[in-house]
Amino acid sequence: MLNYIWAGLIMFSLVFALATDAREIVEDRYRNDEALAVTLEFPERYAPDARRQPVNVRIEPEVYQQHYDTDEAPAESYEATFLQTRDGDQVRFSPDASLPEPLNTIREFTSGSDNELQARVASAQTNGQTIPATIVFDEVRFVKMTAIAQAAFDFADTAVNIIIGLIGALALWLGLLRIAEKAGLVAVIVKLVRPILRPLFPGVPKDHPALGVIALNLSANMLGLGNAATPLGIKAMEELQKLNQSDDTATDDMVMLLAMNTASVQLVPPVLLVAIMGLQINQLIFSIIIVTGCSLIVAIIAARLLSKMRGYRESDPNRPKKAAPEIEDGVDAKASDSSQSN
Amino acid sequence: METFRTAIELLSVFVLPTLIVGFPLYGLYKGVPVYEEFVEGAKEGFDVAVMIIPYLVAILFAIGMFRASGAMEFLVEGLRPVLSLINIPPEVLPMGIIRPLTGSGSAGIVVDLINQYGEDSLIVKIAATMFGSTETTFYVIAVYFGAVNIKKTRHAVPAGLIADFFAMILAVYVVQLLFA
Repeated sequence: MLNYIWAGLIMFSLVFALATDAREIVEDRYRNDEALAVTLEFPERYAPDARRQPVNVRIEPEVYQQHYDTDEAPAESYEATFLQTRDGDQVRFSPDASLPEPLNTIREFTSGSDNELQARVASAQTNGQTIPATIVFDEVRFVKMTAIAQAAFDFADTAVNIIIGLIGALALWLGLLRIAEKAGLVAVIVKLVRPILRPLFPGVPKDHPALGVIALNLSANMLGLGNAATPLGIKAMEELQKLNQSDDTATDDMVMLLAMNTASVQLVPPVLLVAIMGLQINQLIFSIIIVTGCSLIVAIIAARLLSKMRGYRESDPNRPKKAAPEIEDGVDAKASDSSQSN
Repeated sequence: METFRTAIELLSVFVLPTLIVGFPLYGLYKGVPVYEEFVEGAKEGFDVAVMIIPYLVAILFAIGMFRASGAMEFLVEGLRPVLSLINIPPEVLPMGIIRPLTGSGSAGIVVDLINQYGEDSLIVKIAATMFGSTETTFYVIAVYFGAVNIKKTRHAVPAGLIADFFAMILAVYVVQLLFA
């Protein structure tokens, strides 16, 4: 299933990007090569000799809205620099200007790392202090096509950064858990949680440390302790992998752990949400607990029922040995590694 | 509600220090060479993290492309009539689609909705409950399974998505019931 979703995400991004770009070209959303009427205000008089001088660009809202066929309105005026170059006069907007759409997109697309929206001055009577002028922005085409390629690289980077950020917490918890294991603490936890967790993870032997780590992982998750929950979950997966006869195929218990993690009861809301909502979060704690409580049950039932479905039952790497001939297939498949996939 | 929250918060503040101090202390009591064992365990951290990288790159770059492609606008437009039929405000749909894919992206949606509708609006409450009630399923799959080199995820994706889907729908109705 993941194969199809993954390929689907990539394929559909291409389709949607092409469709969006085509629509924008048909609509001529960025009004390529069309001049926009503005007023240039020079704080002092326009200096014909200055190569660069400060200027305020005023765009009338009605003109702007009609030009781009949009509801958004520009600010009253924008700080900019007036530049005289060999190729003609230019206006460069200040990089921290907050621009309405589609100007913002035009800036993102055409400006380099300096983040300055630039426009060619098509016509201006360069005389006096307040000058009516028309300006033309650089051409913008295939915004989304460019964006998806850029996003692929950006997010590959993000992935590595996330992992690097995880190394410290992971090392800390793996170290602590090693002590807990050697001291027999995990075994104590296993005894405590066995009655609740054993029915959910039938593949785990009675005294296996996996149950203890799973319990720690689920409790950390409930309490919203993200930087403890993830390393503990990883450790729990490692313990479950020790019980797995296959190198690359998930067992029912692994899927159950994953489902319980994605649908965990949240007694404490995620840190990110608290940061966004502030005190308002107090009202929502109750509804979050109800929803997550129900969805945890749904997740457990879903994981259990799906594991009973024929296709998934047959791909279970820990299937009982009854089906002797097929087991050999399984071993073969394991030996030839990932030649086939579901 | 207030006391409950304070109690839970207190618990979640004390749990981490208790564990971080408690494990080595208990180990010491049991005669474990704590420093040596800690280092031995922590050694694994780097290798495990490196093992996750290919899985997370695969998942995240595909999600990043999908988000950048403008797919959301198409999906929201397409599904709008269906949603109003079952009494779900279409404004929260982007949250439903983005949430299993990325955490930061869906947090961005909550912020957008707050700016647009105000913190007290029903829409924001629904979206925030959705956010708080579900996980970035694909990220969890990549990280947890990546750490043990599991490529064939079997029913993990459908199970996770079923739970997410259910939580999203339930969030809409629970919030409407409690606040509307």
